[in-house]
Amino acid sequence: MEIEDKKDGNVLIVKILNKRLDAQGATDFKEKMSGYISSGSHSIVLNMSEVDFVDSSGLGAMVSVLKLLGDGGNLVICGARGSVMRMFKLTRMNKVFSMFEGQREAVAALSK
Amino acid sequence: MKSGNTTSSAKDVRNFQKSVRYHVKYSGGKAWDDASQGDIYQAVALAVRERLIDGMLETDERYKKEDAKRLYYLSMEFLMGRALGNNLYNLGIFDLAKDALVDMGIDIEEVRGNEVDAALGNGGLGRLAACFLDSLATLGLPGYGYGINYDFGLFRQEIDNGCQREKPDHWCSEETPWLIQRPYQACIIPVYGRIEHFQDRHGNDNPMWMDWKILVGVPHDMPIVGFGGKTVNYLRLFSARSSDEFDMQIFNEGDYFKAVEQKMSSETISKVLYPSDSVEVGKELRLVQEYFLVACSIRDIVRRYLANHDTLDAFADKVAIQLNDTHPALTVAELMRTLIDEHDMAWERAWEITEATLAYTNHTLLPEALEKWPVPLLERVLPRHLQIIYEINRRFLQQVSSRWPDDGDRLRRMSIIEEGETKQVRMAYLSIVGSHSVNGVAELHSELVKSSLVPDFYELWPERFNNKTNGVTQRRWLLKSNPLLSDLITEAIGDAWITDLDRLRQLEKYADDETFQRKFLKIKKANKERLAKVILDTARVEVDPNSLFDTQIKRLHEYKRQLLNVMYIIHQYLSLIEDQKELTVPKTYIFAGKAAPGYFMAKLIIKLICSVGEVINKDPRVKGQMKVVLVPDYRVSLAEKIVPAAELSEQISTAGMEASGTGNMKLAMNGALTIGTLDGANLEILEEVGQENIYIFGLKVEEIQQMRDGGAYNPLDYYNQNPDIKRVMDGIGSDMFCPNESGLFKPICDNILHQGDYYFHLADFQPYVEAQDKVSQEYRDRSLWAKKAILNVARTGKFSSDRTISEYAREIWNLRQGV
Repeated sequence: MEIEDKKDGNVLIVKILNKRLDAQGATDFKEKMSGYISSGSHSIVLNMSEVDFVDSSGLGAMVSVLKLLGDGGNLVICGARGSVMRMFKLTRMNKVFSMFEGQREAVAALSK
Repeated sequence: MKSGNTTSSAKDVRNFQKSVRYHVKYSGGKAWDDASQGDIYQAVALAVRERLIDGMLETDERYKKEDAKRLYYLSMEFLMGRALGNNLYNLGIFDLAKDALVDMGIDIEEVRGNEVDAALGNGGLGRLAACFLDSLATLGLPGYGYGINYDFGLFRQEIDNGCQREKPDHWCSEETPWLIQRPYQACIIPVYGRIEHFQDRHGNDNPMWMDWKILVGVPHDMPIVGFGGKTVNYLRLFSARSSDEFDMQIFNEGDYFKAVEQKMSSETISKVLYPSDSVEVGKELRLVQEYFLVACSIRDIVRRYLANHDTLDAFADKVAIQLNDTHPALTVAELMRTLIDEHDMAWERAWEITEATLAYTNHTLLPEALEKWPVPLLERVLPRHLQIIYEINRRFLQQVSSRWPDDGDRLRRMSIIEEGETKQVRMAYLSIVGSHSVNGVAELHSELVKSSLVPDFYELWPERFNNKTNGVTQRRWLLKSNPLLSDLITEAIGDAWITDLDRLRQLEKYADDETFQRKFLKIKKANKERLAKVILDTARVEVDPNSLFDTQIKRLHEYKRQLLNVMYIIHQYLSLIEDQKELTVPKTYIFAGKAAPGYFMAKLIIKLICSVGEVINKDPRVKGQMKVVLVPDYRVSLAEKIVPAAELSEQISTAGMEASGTGNMKLAMNGALTIGTLDGANLEILEEVGQENIYIFGLKVEEIQQMRDGGAYNPLDYYNQNPDIKRVMDGIGSDMFCPNESGLFKPICDNILHQGDYYFHLADFQPYVEAQDKVSQEYRDRSLWAKKAILNVARTGKFSSDRTISEYAREIWNLRQGV
């Protein structure tokens, strides 16, 4: 799982560079995200603009990350489109995560 | 000019020939001289397909421009039969194609003989759907069929030593020229998984559907041209494919074989059509099939709607969905899920739209045929849908409770969830609750739905219940399958009957006309000769075209009572050989029909028919006065040969059990007289043709009900009191018809004599014999018989599926004609 990270103030921006977030990459994704959380990042924007396909394992991994963050942290999504967005709606995960079209809006929401 | 053909110029003929040659070469990759009959068929079909596609694109453009409301007919079965002849007739180019091919040294009938039936259905329900598509297109209505592109349709029936053997029917869906694949419109469908409850952003409970697997539904469109060629709709059939994405994850783990297995398992979903009467309770694959159809359809319908509309507000104004029986009942939950989960709609608004969009057709009164699915299975396969069904039920029962407070028994009776050791979801109830219209398929059937099947629901929503008597398309069942009679009719009254079957009434004035009668009988004889050849080729029995052709062609089921017919045949035979009674007229008893592979009694009845035939056909004492034959592999194209040749139509089901029947309509339309019980649409045929032109016998629905309720029926009384019945039953129970397999037919006797004769064979036997005697007497008077047959043809206008579809369009779908 290839990901890119950068800080914007208190917010950590994590961008998935793979086209797919599926069973093959889900464990790796979860481990990397756990690493960020244990290093003190609790406000995270997940940029999915490069992702074309997400399956139920990928979505499950995101839920695990959200659980790991607990009440004190927040994970928001940006850049989800097409079939990725459909999968969020299908599982009703769009009601759990805050979803933004652009990265800037997502960061702004977490910086408030 | 013959019926249904426009005149063609030499240029049209040349262009058609050019197109056929083009497709032999560039689609088939063959030189003309090397082309087989099969190659020619493909090329001719592809030449016709060009015109269909032109028409389909034009039609779609027209609908789009008008923003027309569209009807989607969801059905697990479409029994289409062959398409080439039908398309040629409806496009009005049959003669053009025939002339073009003759000029190339090709016989069009041989070309048509190469087409494999698309047998994507079991019987009446699937054939009805096919007739409806023809009528929708002919009436210029924006209506589409949605179904499954099974690789294997209903099994091919072979008769081996009198026994049915089932062979796979690979109808070549991949090679058929009639399907257009639409991979770019593939739908992704989730299935299986579990629900995880999680709080949403506002702290409310938010059930999430997790750990699903993915199926992909690839649409294939079969163009459906209406008569005259102006409107070309289509039947959209979905094939299940594995998701490439899903395969990739296993593939990447290095397990190639597991990846292939996964792919095969996903594609199994559209592999085979389940035969009727054999869907065991809890058959998981069947449930997944039903869901697959529903989910692909809803995704596709919503996608098409949203392509032209910004919001879902007008959905029910632009979309009507008809559920053909309960098989697509999950549509109620899937549409709700789509609106709520994927489009953030409030429950109340989503429910309004769902109810206003959906309508349900009931097809059966047999309690065992009403679908139920175990809750644990639904929970595993469709966890989110089960939640939605529970919520629908909770809200529905609240409504019942507020209307009838403190009536716990009523709540239990009406609940969508049936309590018991294993809870079950009652799909008929789900369909009724989620639809704004519930219809039966014949007047009697619709009354019984209200009074016996679901009286509680009728009491709650009387306005929801209505009748739409079935019909058949005269384009296939008269114009195409009986060209000689069609030409005679057109010669007499013009060709308007092709799109307005009520015009057949004008034939009444010819009923007494001797010349017309002679022509009519001559045509019947020619059709009988054609059928006799088919029988000789397939069943290896020589039959006499001068004998009365008595036909019972339909699925084998005990309630349809092929056994009663056989009992009468045995009675005739024994009267002839033991009592030396001469038959009034020589008769050929023609059966055709398939039994569900796991239906023991139906298969034993097939064996009995064949065994009785074996004995009678070879017995020199019969002197050829009787023949009994089962024509193997009953299917649409075979029906098209039997129906025009039939003289007597056996519609002898136990009263109250046949919803409508449509074979009865096809046969009457082709001049066969009905011998039947007061069941299904037989009552309406009686009303139309008049009692002097039909042979009605037997117990009525209420009489059967009374005898059942009072425990008054004892078949042994009939056996002991009627020597004819005793002799017939003893004959079946003895080895008379199974000399080499002693006791083979004893289970039939036991079933009738010692297990209550659930279908009342013995109670109806004597009245049936009397009705048959009357048939034989009247058949001897050729002029009288011809008159009755002509009047049957003349009075079948009501039974056109054009009439049925006009009623659906006006009263249920609110669809505008002639868009």
